[in-house]
Amino acid sequence: MENVPAAEAALTSAADRTLFVPRGRRRRAEQWVRSGVSHLILILLSLFALLPLLEALSTALKPKSEIMAGLSIIPQRPTLGHFEFVLGQTDFPTWLRNSLQIAVGTTLCALVIGSLGGYAMSRWRFRGRGLYGNTLLMVQMFPGVMLGIPLFLLLDDYGLIDTLWALLVTYLTFALAFSVWMLKGYFDGIPREIEEAALIDGANRLQVLWQIVLRLAAPGLVTVAVFTFLLAWNEFFFAYIFLVSRDKMTLTLGLFTFVGQYTTEWGYIMAAGILTCLPALVFFFLLQRALTRGLIAGAMKG
Amino acid sequence: MQHATTLSQPSASAESSRARLRAHFSKYALPYLLILPSLLFLAAIEFYPLGVGISEAFKYHNRVQPWATRFVGFGNFIQALQSHDVRQALRTSFVMVTGIVGFSYLLGLLAGLLLNQKVRGRSIYRALILVPWIAPPIMAYISWQWMLNDQLGTINRTLMAIGLVDPFDPIIWLADPALAMLSVIVVGTWFRFPFMMITVLAALSAIPDELHEAAALDGATAMQRFRDVTFPLILPVSIIAILLQAIWTFNDFALTFVLTGGGPANATTPLILMAYREAFQRFNIGYGTALAVISLVLMLALGSVYLRLQARQEADS
Repeated sequence: MENVPAAEAALTSAADRTLFVPRGRRRRAEQWVRSGVSHLILILLSLFALLPLLEALSTALKPKSEIMAGLSIIPQRPTLGHFEFVLGQTDFPTWLRNSLQIAVGTTLCALVIGSLGGYAMSRWRFRGRGLYGNTLLMVQMFPGVMLGIPLFLLLDDYGLIDTLWALLVTYLTFALAFSVWMLKGYFDGIPREIEEAALIDGANRLQVLWQIVLRLAAPGLVTVAVFTFLLAWNEFFFAYIFLVSRDKMTLTLGLFTFVGQYTTEWGYIMAAGILTCLPALVFFFLLQRALTRGLIAGAMKG
Repeated sequence: MQHATTLSQPSASAESSRARLRAHFSKYALPYLLILPSLLFLAAIEFYPLGVGISEAFKYHNRVQPWATRFVGFGNFIQALQSHDVRQALRTSFVMVTGIVGFSYLLGLLAGLLLNQKVRGRSIYRALILVPWIAPPIMAYISWQWMLNDQLGTINRTLMAIGLVDPFDPIIWLADPALAMLSVIVVGTWFRFPFMMITVLAALSAIPDELHEAAALDGATAMQRFRDVTFPLILPVSIIAILLQAIWTFNDFALTFVLTGGGPANATTPLILMAYREAFQRFNIGYGTALAVISLVLMLALGSVYLRLQARQEADS
């Protein structure tokens, strides 16, 4: 790990020893090498990060004969056949609708409930505030399997197994931990004076929250919305244990059943995989700048 | 009231503290109301099932023969700790967590340090490196499984094309115990290093530039600056991130379930996957939850360290 600084140090001392090179040129050459090494490492890391997606895209676009024989990652005779099959002849569109419903529903609920909790934590020092905050952090450590077993028994008693409601309430609860904490962080940054002025003008607390605070915390709401959406969109374990019927499945679960169903038809599986991650990626890249800035500012709070 | 006068002091103070409490609650009625919805969901989806789960762990409960359900005290735990399989699963969990968290921190630190410099195109690199953190893990695990396929997978095919692997004797990435563990660690690292990078970047952005400039003026080399200035300053945040990731990796069900199915034999079955199998495939609710409770206790121990460090971190900033 100390590779980078070590390499830099080695470069510096090596450069110091070459006495014959004029100083300006030596420094420029040194910088050039250093940034070259940086770029090389960053390109390798990016490739590692993108590898499974590139592989999936390449396989999805290749005709079957090429998947079995070709070595090139770039398809020689690209085809959209696999995508047409997945969208036209499988349950994929139903799963897409289910995933959208759950992700959007979870996101809306988490924004409402999360901003109420975050506002309470940001503005009042009530008894039990620390306990409430710590509880939210602590539940992130519960093993999913630990909760999954009793939740399954419980939801089964209420007839909620194999419904989208079971997933919505579960995902919502998991999203609350970071929603409350992140929004509290954003609310902390809004000066109280603005609210006090409105309160003196006769507005009540909830009007202040709705009309002033939430508007000023809009970037925070967007960040929380994206993370909640991704949590619900990407989740697998609870979908796997709560859902049974094919028409109730979410995308990640449906994709997993593809592996069993089309064992050797990697073109279909990968086309479905690409379609599954597309919304998440598009969403992320559209908001990328704002999100990473928010993340870096508040990474350790969430 | 008469009693109150005879007993005087203690009860009077109890009365006044009760009154203070009442005053506190009426003064803070609104915030309590605001956190109520989230408390309800926490109670219903986290704590009630947690309580049920813990009580199940002390029962013999098999869904195939529900009539035989009975209280067995610590029986399940004793059975678990004596079982060779459970010890193997704990060992597997430990190897996985150490390997994945260790490598992902190293890669995250490397990426974070490089991207904290003024590199051209750094926002593009940063976005690309974040992809593993955004993409649905299931989709990625399936794609990795395909890449690691011994006959047709890209990795073996590439190695064969270079001549490193004999086409008639391919590397069985997912079918050999040691290689399967290696594959799990590589894929787990792939999934987790972007979070580490973000954490390192966040910690680095909090270090004032003057510190580096001062150190550079004092003649410190890049290596010395890293060891004596940068690293100590990002260490507290790094430890918190490492703890969190260790907990999440320990609890990760999908990675081994999708990539290797826990195999070959039980070579890549961590405790969490074993708990799942007992409860959902063998319908051994009691024994399965006991295994999950063991995981929970281990994670709460790590978690309390995390909470203490987090509180200290907040107090400092």
